[in-house]
Amino acid sequence: MAVVSNTQVIFDNLYGIFTDLAIVVGVIVFALMGYLIIRYRATRSSSDPEDTPRLGRIPTSRGHGRNVLITVTLSTFLLAVLIITSFAAVDTLFPNNPPNATWCYGIAAYNQTQVAGQSCPRLDVTGHQFYWVFRYPNNHTDLNLFRVPANSTVVLDVTSADVFHDFGIIQFKIKTDAIQGRTNTIWFIPYKTGNYTIQCFELCGTGHVGMIATLDVMPVPDFQLWYTSAK
Amino acid sequence: MSQEIFPPRIRRWLFTTNHKEVGILYLVTSLFFFIAAGLLALTMRTQLSVPNNNVLNEGLYNQFVTVHGLLMIFWVLSPFAFGFANYIIPLQIGARDLAFPRLNAMSYWFYLFSGVAIIMSFIFGAPDLGWTLYSPQTSFQFTPTIGLNVGAAALILITVSITMSSVNFLVTMFKMRAPGMKLRNMPVFPWAILVTIFMMLYAFPSFLAAVLLLYVDRSFGTFYFSSIQGGALLWDNVFWFFGHPEVYIVLFPAIGLIADVIPTFTRRPLYGSKYVIASMIAAAIISFIVWGHHMFVTGIGLTSTKLYTVTTIAVSLPFDVMVIAMIETLIKARIKLKAAALFALGAIALFVIGGITGVYLASVALDHALRGTYFVVAHFHYIMVGGSIMGLIAGLYYWFPKITGRMYNEAIARIHFVISFIGFNILYFPMFLLLDMPRRIQTYAPDTGWGSLNSLATLGGFIFGGAQILLFLNLFLSQRRGPPSGPNPWDGWTLEWSLPSPVPGHDFDTIPTIAEDGTYRFGNGSSYPNGSARLDDSKVGNGLAYSHLEGMSPWPIVMAFAAFLFFLGLSIGQPTSPTPVSYKPFWPLIADGSILGVISLYGYSRERFSVHEETRVESWPFREVPNVKLGIWTFLGAEVIFFGVLIGAYFFVRTNSATWPAVGELFSIRNGFAMTLVLLTSSLTAIMALASAKIGSRRGLIAGLLATFGLGASFLYIKATEWIELGTHGVFSVANGLPATSYFITTGTHGVHVVAGMCMTVYLLANTLKGRYTKGDHDAIEHFGLYWHFVDIVWVFLFPLFYLI
Repeated sequence: MAVVSNTQVIFDNLYGIFTDLAIVVGVIVFALMGYLIIRYRATRSSSDPEDTPRLGRIPTSRGHGRNVLITVTLSTFLLAVLIITSFAAVDTLFPNNPPNATWCYGIAAYNQTQVAGQSCPRLDVTGHQFYWVFRYPNNHTDLNLFRVPANSTVVLDVTSADVFHDFGIIQFKIKTDAIQGRTNTIWFIPYKTGNYTIQCFELCGTGHVGMIATLDVMPVPDFQLWYTSAK
Repeated sequence: MSQEIFPPRIRRWLFTTNHKEVGILYLVTSLFFFIAAGLLALTMRTQLSVPNNNVLNEGLYNQFVTVHGLLMIFWVLSPFAFGFANYIIPLQIGARDLAFPRLNAMSYWFYLFSGVAIIMSFIFGAPDLGWTLYSPQTSFQFTPTIGLNVGAAALILITVSITMSSVNFLVTMFKMRAPGMKLRNMPVFPWAILVTIFMMLYAFPSFLAAVLLLYVDRSFGTFYFSSIQGGALLWDNVFWFFGHPEVYIVLFPAIGLIADVIPTFTRRPLYGSKYVIASMIAAAIISFIVWGHHMFVTGIGLTSTKLYTVTTIAVSLPFDVMVIAMIETLIKARIKLKAAALFALGAIALFVIGGITGVYLASVALDHALRGTYFVVAHFHYIMVGGSIMGLIAGLYYWFPKITGRMYNEAIARIHFVISFIGFNILYFPMFLLLDMPRRIQTYAPDTGWGSLNSLATLGGFIFGGAQILLFLNLFLSQRRGPPSGPNPWDGWTLEWSLPSPVPGHDFDTIPTIAEDGTYRFGNGSSYPNGSARLDDSKVGNGLAYSHLEGMSPWPIVMAFAAFLFFLGLSIGQPTSPTPVSYKPFWPLIADGSILGVISLYGYSRERFSVHEETRVESWPFREVPNVKLGIWTFLGAEVIFFGVLIGAYFFVRTNSATWPAVGELFSIRNGFAMTLVLLTSSLTAIMALASAKIGSRRGLIAGLLATFGLGASFLYIKATEWIELGTHGVFSVANGLPATSYFITTGTHGVHVVAGMCMTVYLLANTLKGRYTKGDHDAIEHFGLYWHFVDIVWVFLFPLFYLI
């Protein structure tokens, strides 16, 4: 599969681990179930086991606490693996303080920022019924078209002007809710130039289906040229 | 009597209070809603089958998506399960009926009318924002349609139904088990219902509070969920605090049912049944601390999301135990693959897939990609359709002979399973692969590449939906023409199989007892079930001959209809201007509903309604607690959650607001202090009333009740002057919108409780004047006292919150 962003790589790796384990567990469970059903299917010659529950008395209890304990321990171990790998991923994806944004490096107005190794300003995303507005620090705004330079860190502040939206970049496997009165921050590094789909993932009214924007990941020089000329 | 105007056959179904008939009503109604919601789903699947399709426009699609979800969750899954619970549980625990038969009938009628209301909402433009009803889109500003009001009214009515029902089952199962039937001796199905009821009792008040606040926001222009100061997250928290337990509420009955079906058809006892029950309890408890996983991407912070990841993943452990126990039951068994067994085993298999994919969604890291996609849709349909519906269909085949006295066609039932199972997987498995596609979108572009998987899913949808025709045809024809089943066609062990099929109106000739060694003693003292010995084939299929007509009451249906009219009138008014404050309810319906409500309340309380009183086994801590008192205690437990949410909402808006009026600025401390004093004194007078009743002093009782009434009225008088004063000073301005909103709602709700208490004192006074309560029959005074003290205690919390801090 094509590598398009750091977030997508992290997701694919983690999803792979979950799916591998899911297949192992699923195959074991279904094989066991299938085997037992075939093996112990009632035949004409077979007779009921001795402890068959019968009308007129409470069935005898059956089963060992030991087996339950083994099952739970095994599962806990598997789940711990999933929790640890998930935490590693989420620490990278959604740290309390996002990494320094570098999308502005190379643009003349931000030379000082780059020399000092500081973070570029965050970009603002606002959801409206039913379009996305992208605002850059030079106050340029775009509707439903979001330009960013390839291979640099982009940090977004996402909010909503009206109802509950959800800002998702489909191919980057990343999203966050857009809520009026709150700002949610996400970041990513696009690896590959091209167009990607931004879509609203929370039903926000009649018009929700068309609340789609384009993410245009541009070659760095092209972006710099566009940004300096954009008003 | 008014009931005489209907012919007996109709009267029986309208006025019955018999748990079995109410159970059948629940089953039939829920299956009807199942078909309705299923047809909505098939229409949506048709729309999605190819890209850029437009057989269903977006507005209508959004309504379908919402009503499909609401119907399936509230009007199909739980009522389907509670249909069985109604019919079967009293039989399985050896009770004559539910503890409060008329209340049970009322639960059903509230359920039916609430369902009528939600379907009626289509007339006014049904809710169109997803069953989760996210804020602030629910506000009047963004959704001015009346349909959402009607939908909210429907949700309020069904919550009332569910609350009545859970109180009823709780009392029944704690107090009315057959002698010697210990809790741990109950089969797993009653256990699952018991755990479900506890979840309902603690989850639904939160939902009721949320929907009431929403209703008030929309009708009177308050600001709880529409404020930008946290309104959206307030809804999220309150809704999902209810919403996650709700998932298990709709699932557990099916699991319990499967756990009873499997031993019957594998001929071996359930493996580790006590661990299965313990796991259910554990999962139910954990279900209340996982709601944050529905809010992973709302920005609740890294630490919280990690915490919720751990709790959510941990909740898979008890389910793990349940599934493994069912599978281990098969070891050395003698498995008879009848339709019920096929559906039970199939449901487990599908539930396993749903459970494993649930772990994906529990991971906050993966949820950032999967939230709001078809992966989620696939996951919860594997749980709710694969686990719950398939499990409940197993129950339908399992208990069909018991309920109708006839056998269904086994071959068709097995074909039904095979087609359903295959169709189900063709329908939902492709959705796991559609993990990029947003859910709840009406269409998609061809270049997304989602077309082929969607076509496949639609094909599966029609296979799965079509297969259900076999189910309905089979059951419909068999209940008329099927061969007689006899009392115990599956050789099951639970008590319902000791009775003839269909079960006679009075259930047991004599209540069985369970000896220390676990054997049942039936009426004649032998361990032979007397019911089956006197089975009369001529009566098979003719339940009417047995039904106890003496236990009929017209008031449950009338009262439910009154509530329906009242809420409809409140909901369908026309807004006179774009601002919600000038919203005008439709008064004629409200008036009709109120009058009818008062009449039915009067009729209900005056009616001589006798139910069989049997010797009842009662175990600690309920040995000394009579039915009604236990009912009131559980009701008050639910009230605690309800007020807890109101007070929690108050704290939430207060901490999220940048400014809040200083102490004494809006609300006069003097007024608050006066009201506190008055109300606390009224608790004393209520105690005096009870003390007088106990010593038989009628004069003291009257004085106590009058004083309580007077003090309640004084409280309301001070409250009213305060409200009027605040209202005339324009408190509903933007600057102090939230303080005013939270104050009016919280104290208003409390005020309604005071008014209800005063109505009770009037009722008690009237009866006292007729000479009741002073001859040792003072229970009612005591019950009123419990309620009144609770209302006072709530005020003790409200006073400092609003006036002192």
